[in-house]
Amino acid sequence: MKPLVCALLLLIAQSALADSGTVIRNSDLREKPFSDSRSIATLSSNSKIEIQKNQGTWMQVKTPQGQVGWIKLLNVRTQSGTRNNGLATLGNVIKTGSSGQTVTTGVKGLSAEQIQTAEPNMAEVNKMESYSSSNSEASRLARQAQLSPKKVAPLSNSNTNVNTPNNGRRP
Amino acid sequence: MIRRLCLSLVAAGALSAPAHAFDLNELSKYLTPENIESATKIINNTVEANQVVGPRQEVIMGQNVMATLLGAAPLVKDAALQRYVNQVGTWIASQSAQPQLNWHFGVIDSPNINAFAAPGGYVLITRGLWNQLRSEAELAAILAHEISHVINKDQIEAMKSSNRGAITEELITAVLNHKVQGERLDLAKKATKAATEGLYIKGLSKDTEYAADLNGMLLAARAGYNPYAMVSMLQTLGNVSPNDSAVALFFSTHPSPQDRIDQIDRKIGDQLEAYANGVDNTARFSKISR
Repeated sequence: MKPLVCALLLLIAQSALADSGTVIRNSDLREKPFSDSRSIATLSSNSKIEIQKNQGTWMQVKTPQGQVGWIKLLNVRTQSGTRNNGLATLGNVIKTGSSGQTVTTGVKGLSAEQIQTAEPNMAEVNKMESYSSSNSEASRLARQAQLSPKKVAPLSNSNTNVNTPNNGRRP
Repeated sequence: MIRRLCLSLVAAGALSAPAHAFDLNELSKYLTPENIESATKIINNTVEANQVVGPRQEVIMGQNVMATLLGAAPLVKDAALQRYVNQVGTWIASQSAQPQLNWHFGVIDSPNINAFAAPGGYVLITRGLWNQLRSEAELAAILAHEISHVINKDQIEAMKSSNRGAITEELITAVLNHKVQGERLDLAKKATKAATEGLYIKGLSKDTEYAADLNGMLLAARAGYNPYAMVSMLQTLGNVSPNDSAVALFFSTHPSPQDRIDQIDRKIGDQLEAYANGVDNTARFSKISR
């Protein structure tokens, strides 16, 4: 059974790597995921590409001509309505043992009708609260996960405001 | 009935004439002194002070909204998953402007794709959305977006602006909801549901959603994640067909994923590039999503 699961996971990984996309503005295809890396080619707007992976603000892509390089993540529009539905379905089969209801039905989902007909369930709220994490536990586990707080300056040209902590603990 | 109840409580709050004593006596059958106090404060704040909903009221509102959403779909029965989402969410929230709020996170057992936040620090994502995620940074992007809604009080503002008259009723019933009985309980349930429907079926404004994306990216970066996981997560959601019923409510309450990416492109672009080498994935995500 295990090798089968592994094989399925591998299949998912491979299909995820084969997503397609469209370049939305003229962009350099670079050798490495850095702005000062050598440009291999210029991809014109509307070029089709095959997406291999993401890294930071970059996406590794393959052109129809077979060139592989890096372009800015924000310069690519991923393909609509393609293989991702199948991917989600297969993921569900493995994760839930059910038959991929994600793509077939909204009946069991959290739909507008369900919210309208819901009976409030306060016991479930209490249960949700019982899973809470303390700040100290969350911080300890974050450190284990190699996460550390970063100083990030507010953005120019936007009204972002969660960025100003009021607790004097800004890292 | 509710209007009368509200008036009575305003009166009680203002220590008004004995003419209102009858109503108050009747109310005391249903209300504890603590509830009367909370309800009065809410009325005072929303009607008299006209603007402010305090922290305690936010928590009561959040609990009642959550009760309705969890009544529609319960939590996924996986304690390890629920604890993990709380650990990630609490870490991100600890880097926000409100680290001391009692933040609560949960995954609900719905195959649809969506996430919800309620006042007071309550955040839910659906199992359908969880199943789409490829990294902890993508989870962080969603939680940070929802945390931003809570911190900016977007739900409360939406309630105020969309239905000023009814807001008072909704708030008061939210307070009453789990203490009252009989006819009033039905009324309370209806009003809480009305509030929840108003918020979670109509959704927030497009601008509010865009702002939560930008704030969410900043917050994710501050928590040490690659903030551009917001973009890859939106790209994934953009690949789900809009005809798919799993995204019907999500698409009706949010701008399209591509519009959101376009806004991020315009407003943030490369500005957070220095943080793009932040954490994308973790061993704990791989373990829990296996």
